[in-house]
Amino acid sequence: MNSFNSPGRLLVAAIIAAIAVGAGIWSARSLLRHSAPDTALSATRFPVARPLGPFELIDHHGKRFDNQSLQGHWTFLFFGYTHCPDVCPTTLSVLNGVAHRLADSGASARFAFVTVDPQRDTPEQLARFVTYFNGDFIGVTGKEEGIEQLTRQLGIVYMQVANEANPDSYLVDHTASVFLIDPDGRYHAVFTPPLDADAISTNFLKMREAYP
Amino acid sequence: MKTATPTMHLGGLVLCWFLACVAHADTTLQVIDPWIREAPPTAAVHAAYMTLVNNSNQAVLIDSVTSPDFASAEVHRSWVEDGIAHMQPVSQLEVPASGTLVLEPGGYHLMLFDAQRPLQAGDTVTLLLHRADDNCILVKAPVMRSNDTGHHQH
Repeated sequence: MNSFNSPGRLLVAAIIAAIAVGAGIWSARSLLRHSAPDTALSATRFPVARPLGPFELIDHHGKRFDNQSLQGHWTFLFFGYTHCPDVCPTTLSVLNGVAHRLADSGASARFAFVTVDPQRDTPEQLARFVTYFNGDFIGVTGKEEGIEQLTRQLGIVYMQVANEANPDSYLVDHTASVFLIDPDGRYHAVFTPPLDADAISTNFLKMREAYP
Repeated sequence: MKTATPTMHLGGLVLCWFLACVAHADTTLQVIDPWIREAPPTAAVHAAYMTLVNNSNQAVLIDSVTSPDFASAEVHRSWVEDGIAHMQPVSQLEVPASGTLVLEPGGYHLMLFDAQRPLQAGDTVTLLLHRADDNCILVKAPVMRSNDTGHHQH
């Protein structure tokens, strides 16, 4: 958090927050500026978990995925796209590591990969992609509006980038953090890169223990 | 940046390059630990990683990559800045004189489009790195599954 106090960092935060409509992760961090994070490493937990407004998406079975889908269990959300050969598979491999560590500790959580490329990521495409990493992972897609409803609330930025060398294969830049939703369906914490399975698991278990 | 056309893998061009690669075996550039990340079935893209060691006192430039096992290939770089993952094609790779360039998850990698056959861990694919000086480097890369750090398992 110390580095956040530097003017350069603040400027960057201001720009990102401006891009991300509404209260995003950066603005949430600015609220935390004067309080030390309660766990070390990669997690930022909010002093007060933030309720999520309505959003409507579908999972890779074609079933509705909305606020109700986040009730009654912890959920890790990651945003990416299946035409992403490097960052997204790396993160899903890390999350698979988290899933195994949690299972070993007797804790449970759900993991959902939400596409920021609904144009190409159909439920069928997502099903093949996410279950490759872990049979219990959930792929989520939907209409552009639905994805915006959710990403806006989490301060997620994503944008299509043309690939001049290969126009049929555009790239998508996107927020690389992993978001933790608590069993009341509220935005509870965010894990920022570099993502590490041990750090995420350890932090999550502490937060779970402290959860009312 | 030179890019592979859809017909390249079918035509004689790749064969020609392939033979040129064999004929001009490159000793100045060493390729260490190449691997392709096993991807979910029907994945449109794969990523390849390796370490390039330049044993000469001149920088080695790589202009393009082709592969008989993929429809096309590009050099890309991923990076995370202010929490956002970016990826962009790179027009040229430079391996510094007497230096090393690492292609690894979250950094430089080869982006491989449309595998010509289903690939899984244990398979081997051929990659051709085309140098700016027209030499080329033939790389045989195993397909490997990544572990939970995103790197491959030894």
